[in-house]
Amino acid sequence: MIKVRTVFRKTGRAKYISHLDLNRFMLRAFRRTGLPIWYTEGYNPHPYIAFALALSLGYESDCEIMDFNLNSEVDFDEIVSKLNAVMPEGIEFISAFAPVNKITAIARSEFSVKMFCDDTQKLMKDFSDFLQRDSIIVEKKTKKGMSEIDLKPSVETSELVCDDSCVSFNVILPAGTQTNYNPSLLIDAFKNVINYPIDMVKICRNSIISDNGEKFL
Amino acid sequence: MLKDKIEKYLLSVQKPSRYIGGECGSVIKDKSKVDVRFAFCFPDSYDIGMSHLGMKILYSLINERENYWCERVFAPWEDFEAIMRENDIPLYALESLDPVKEFDFVGFTMQYELSYTNVLNMLDLAGIPVWAKDRGEELSPIVVAGGPCVCNPEPLADFFDIIILGEGEEVNLEIMDLYHEFKRKGAKRSEFLRAVSQIKGAYVPSLYDVEYNADNTVKAVVPKGNAPAVVTKRYIKDMDSVYYPENFVVPFTDIVHNRVSVEVLRGCIRGCRFCQAGFIYRPFREKSTLNICKQSKVLCENTGYDELSLCSLSTSDHSDINNMLSNLIDYTEGEHINLALPSLRIDNFSEELLEKVKKVRKSGLTFAPEAGTQRLRDVINKNVTEEEIMNTCRIAFEGGYSTVKLYFMMGLPTETDEDIVGIAELAQRIVDMYYTIENRPKGRGVQVSISTATFVPKPFTPFQFEAQDTKEEIERKQKLLIDSIKTKKIKVSWHNSDVSLLEAVLAKGDRRLSEVIFAAWKKGCKFDSWGEHFKFDKWVEAFEECGISPAFYAHRFREYDEILPWDHINYYVSKNFLINEDKTARMAKTTPNCRQKCSACGVVKETGVRCFD
Repeated sequence: MIKVRTVFRKTGRAKYISHLDLNRFMLRAFRRTGLPIWYTEGYNPHPYIAFALALSLGYESDCEIMDFNLNSEVDFDEIVSKLNAVMPEGIEFISAFAPVNKITAIARSEFSVKMFCDDTQKLMKDFSDFLQRDSIIVEKKTKKGMSEIDLKPSVETSELVCDDSCVSFNVILPAGTQTNYNPSLLIDAFKNVINYPIDMVKICRNSIISDNGEKFL
Repeated sequence: MLKDKIEKYLLSVQKPSRYIGGECGSVIKDKSKVDVRFAFCFPDSYDIGMSHLGMKILYSLINERENYWCERVFAPWEDFEAIMRENDIPLYALESLDPVKEFDFVGFTMQYELSYTNVLNMLDLAGIPVWAKDRGEELSPIVVAGGPCVCNPEPLADFFDIIILGEGEEVNLEIMDLYHEFKRKGAKRSEFLRAVSQIKGAYVPSLYDVEYNADNTVKAVVPKGNAPAVVTKRYIKDMDSVYYPENFVVPFTDIVHNRVSVEVLRGCIRGCRFCQAGFIYRPFREKSTLNICKQSKVLCENTGYDELSLCSLSTSDHSDINNMLSNLIDYTEGEHINLALPSLRIDNFSEELLEKVKKVRKSGLTFAPEAGTQRLRDVINKNVTEEEIMNTCRIAFEGGYSTVKLYFMMGLPTETDEDIVGIAELAQRIVDMYYTIENRPKGRGVQVSISTATFVPKPFTPFQFEAQDTKEEIERKQKLLIDSIKTKKIKVSWHNSDVSLLEAVLAKGDRRLSEVIFAAWKKGCKFDSWGEHFKFDKWVEAFEECGISPAFYAHRFREYDEILPWDHINYYVSKNFLINEDKTARMAKTTPNCRQKCSACGVVKETGVRCFD
């Protein structure tokens, strides 16, 4: 059994594929690649695939991680090209390699965020003020029900950049097996304090960071 | 661009992947190199429409032609429809995301009477006039319909430019070819429609005037110009040479039937007298085992699906069923593919095959005796004996099953209270039999579920003349059934009888029904087949306002010499045969199945093709 880690992009129309649907889609895709995917050996054998992090519906990403096992060795470039041959518009595999870092080492994700609206100058100022607050309290659904959390200590944002159509910035938030905060939590909290609409928000995961502070990939 | 506008709102609706396309297997072409564009519309949600096999076949068939492009369109769910209307997003097709209005053809498949209002709603969302007469002289878009419901095209006649009768694999391309020719010479809509009426299977409703008698029955259907007096359906002669797709569009989101479907045969030899499909899809034609296996394999490989289903009216009637299943099971087992076998009779299988089938069958066990007594089963020509039902249940219980679902109809012609009580008694005998089996599932009680539907008389069946029971009568029979059941091991459920009434009226209606459909839609009726959307009170208002009595269409026995609204449509089965079958039914006599003996239904005489050697 050979362990393989792959990295893929999810952009364009593909951002509307939910995490659950993506999982099901990838299982079908493997059947079409002809790759010797390893099946679990239980009562109901199925291909074993695992995604490092879930990506919210509507987010794009440059760095999604999918792990799986093969029964026999296949050249990594061939894995990438065979997978890409069966992908829909918007999903593109970038690399395949033998995994070194453990998935549990993932600590944070970096996202680029673009907020579109008519008056971007005002939006930038309001958002900048918002980030200066002492605390950013949001409600988050957990396994135990709704709980209030303060995002402030966990949020790291880059400088805000503004043009005619949108305000852009990068944000780093906790991610991984323990804690996952989405940029949407931050944006929704911000939407609650302003009295005008944001037309559209585009979010893309740029990179994944390990607990030692280095890039995971 | 429409795409940007759509994307702006997509994340605020349920299951957005239904509205953006881009699925594996969807066909994208360069529209500057395409001559004729076809928007294939399914008048229900994506989740329902994407499960439909006919659409997959015709979609791929058209797209095989380099210069034709077929795209998919579904009815948006109410949350997205509200956004579309509010933000001027017209109905668009999923491949190009171009407005449907820009297409040459807008084609609807009519699978169910209760989807009629969705057609009007979709045309309206597209910005296309819902009435055919309001579409002017511009050639496009030509609004067409096909599918089983249009075997009686009359209730929908005023909404469509062309109605395609029978199987579409050949005639659809013939119509598109003719259109292409007329488009090149810059013809008017009326010129094209007159010409297309000469293609066999293409019915142009605007070329016919309907006259009525004082008692509201049809007096005559009069063709204009050289339109044919009788329009005949199309069918495919050879199932082995007819086109079958090698790939499906595979949705991302889960849908009702998310799997490979391979058609194994068309038509049905059984001749159940209530069953429209059993008559309108004649003659009986089989696909060879070799082709079925080949197509199954190719489709599984190209789609990546891990489930394969065989599709037909009665798969067990394939003459090579044992060999076919044996081959398929060998293939699917090796590839980790689940084989689904709906509507399969297992009573005549060999021990060896039964063992194999048992391994793949996970779904529940269902039977459709349709009637509670042998007399009534003889009336409807459902050639199933109680012995067979018991035998199959026994085999199933011994194989580990402990639940059975039985389908029945209520309100069948000649039905008496004895027949209703008979339903409960049959279920009781199945319960009793379970406890006589020594190796029955340990520690589990038996559960028999009875599901009853209200009988709906349908055109082109021997029961097309028959009346449907009134709601009061059906409710009395439902109560009788409940009172006849003595154990909690039997559960009963039924369909909404208002739905059944509407089905009957729309199935057997004439052209005057189009005003009612229009009025109901204007009152907000759509997605009528979805319980939570069905507004019967609005339909009642619509009937009243149009001065049309549903009872006239549903609850009235039609004399054999009455001109029926669909008498100018020829599905090869002759009216005389249907009359004789109805008379035979009333004597509680059965008719042998087509393999046992040809009953001269008219198909052989009309087509010259013998169903069996």
